[in-house]
Amino acid sequence: MRVVIAEDDALLREGLVLLLSGEGFDVVAAAGDPAAFLAAVGEHRPDVAVVDVRMPPTHTDEGIRAAVKAKRLHPELAVLVLSAYVEQAFATDLLAGGTAGIGYLLKERVGKVEEFLSALARVAEGGTAIDPDVVAQLFARRRDPLDRLTAREREVLALMAEGLGNVAIAERLVVSDGAVHKHIRSIFAKLDLTQSDRVDRRVAAVLHYLGV
Amino acid sequence: MLRGAFENLERLAGGLGTAFMALITLVAWILVGAACLLGVGLLLVPLMVAVTRSVAERERARLHRLGVEIVTPYLLPRERVPGDWRGAMRAARADLATMRDLRWLAVHATLGFLVGVLGVLMPVSALREITYPLWWNLLPKHMQTTNFSIPVTTWPAAIATSFVGFGVLIGLLWLLPRLARLQARPALALLAPHPSIDLSERVARLTETRAGALRAHAAELRRIERSLHDGAQNRLMAVVVTVAAAKRALARDPARAVHAMDRAQAAAEQALAELRGVVRGILPPILADRGLSGALDAVAAGCSVPCSLTVGGLGHMPLSVETTAYFTVAEALTNVSRHSGARRAEVEVARMGATLRIVVRDDGKGGAREESGSGLAGIRRRVEALDGTMALSSPEGGPTVIEVELPCES
Repeated sequence: MRVVIAEDDALLREGLVLLLSGEGFDVVAAAGDPAAFLAAVGEHRPDVAVVDVRMPPTHTDEGIRAAVKAKRLHPELAVLVLSAYVEQAFATDLLAGGTAGIGYLLKERVGKVEEFLSALARVAEGGTAIDPDVVAQLFARRRDPLDRLTAREREVLALMAEGLGNVAIAERLVVSDGAVHKHIRSIFAKLDLTQSDRVDRRVAAVLHYLGV
Repeated sequence: MLRGAFENLERLAGGLGTAFMALITLVAWILVGAACLLGVGLLLVPLMVAVTRSVAERERARLHRLGVEIVTPYLLPRERVPGDWRGAMRAARADLATMRDLRWLAVHATLGFLVGVLGVLMPVSALREITYPLWWNLLPKHMQTTNFSIPVTTWPAAIATSFVGFGVLIGLLWLLPRLARLQARPALALLAPHPSIDLSERVARLTETRAGALRAHAAELRRIERSLHDGAQNRLMAVVVTVAAAKRALARDPARAVHAMDRAQAAAEQALAELRGVVRGILPPILADRGLSGALDAVAAGCSVPCSLTVGGLGHMPLSVETTAYFTVAEALTNVSRHSGARRAEVEVARMGATLRIVVRDDGKGGAREESGSGLAGIRRRVEALDGTMALSSPEGGPTVIEVELPCES
């Protein structure tokens, strides 16, 4: 899988290249600023881009803007954005154009390599990966309607919002596939959402409901 | 001494001016008071309050010109006093300054007026007596008198009168300043804000400076957050990522794992260096140990370019000012040794009242610029966080001069 990395911190950039190339990814370019990143994406047409939120010149949300732009120019590109801290507004900006092939994770998740790689793979396949902390923030804002759900249902909803499919949710919660199905049906009924079997539509519906 | 006498005379004459206005206003008050007994006078009270206020303002302005500052005590500025009778009456009653203005008016219109008249007339009559021998025998016989209508009709008596006049004049040199002070005393006591109001103003001022301090504090916190975030935190993130990569590579490709561990170690070392830098930026240890002037000594001595240091009496200063001063000099001298090519540098640090002034000068090639991320931009950011100013002059060919002023009221 071909990857482009955008990270302004040289050591961290090097670390990401080391990690991903060691895992069999083909890191075709590693850029240090938004302009170089966009040029590399145009040139190499990678499958997925890993982008840091803070980049020059102002070190605020350049990475988000570059990711949104790259996604607009190359809709088939998957983008995983890394952020040093949870900022729900960043997720909102990032997901404004749709949830397919989008990821937003805290930088430190990279240290949990298996989870990071599975999130990256999910995003590369056109899925979604939203950081659990972001989901927790979204939950906190919609406490009232979510109180109607059982604790287990809230867990399932959170994992759906993170972008996991049924199998992954079942694995994570150590329950059967059927049980997950049942929970999801119940959640959608309680929240008045129309259920879809397609995971991408389901994630979009859930995130939309949570106010992204 | 003579000039002082003239100044006092001028003060007394000016005081006489406001006393005259006060007298007219006082008479008007008495008339309005009489009209109040008939009921109609009440309508004029707000107008009279306003007139009194404007006379009092004149007296404050007069004293201000003489260098005596009297803070305006009114609750409402003139343009915000309600225009309608009821509102104006309520505003006047609510304001402690109204009654105090009136008391001042009564004293100044009488005592102040009298003192003013006396102060102006006495020098005139002294002059008349001094010059008496020059013109006494030009007068008709019945007008040949001194100021107190004492007939003086002989030469010896006329010359004696002149001496008396001199005596009076010398006495006036002593008396006039006292009269001027006496005349201004009611204003000082009554036209300033009531002591209780003064206190609340001081509270307002303290609140203001406290807000400024908090702002500076917040800016400082932002700066620390920024350097932790962009520095140490990123380095540690790199450590986490490379260690993760090393762990994954350990079984498959040991050589790769060793390389990753090397990178992780380098990143960890950099993180430590960054943290040291941040700590030094918060409070340089040497500053805590030796105070500002000792710390500056060490910086100047450590500079690779010969550097002369002049430190004036610094007195007690807030720690934030000392830290910023230290940082300014250290950063400026780093620039001097790295970029300027100078043969010598000069540092002057002196306190002038409530301002700490820092000048760093070198004879290098000039052309220094404040690019973002440069040491100079860092100096400006820290100086401005404390409401200070920084000026940089660095033409191509040199010399480079950095001037920083920091407010340091302690």
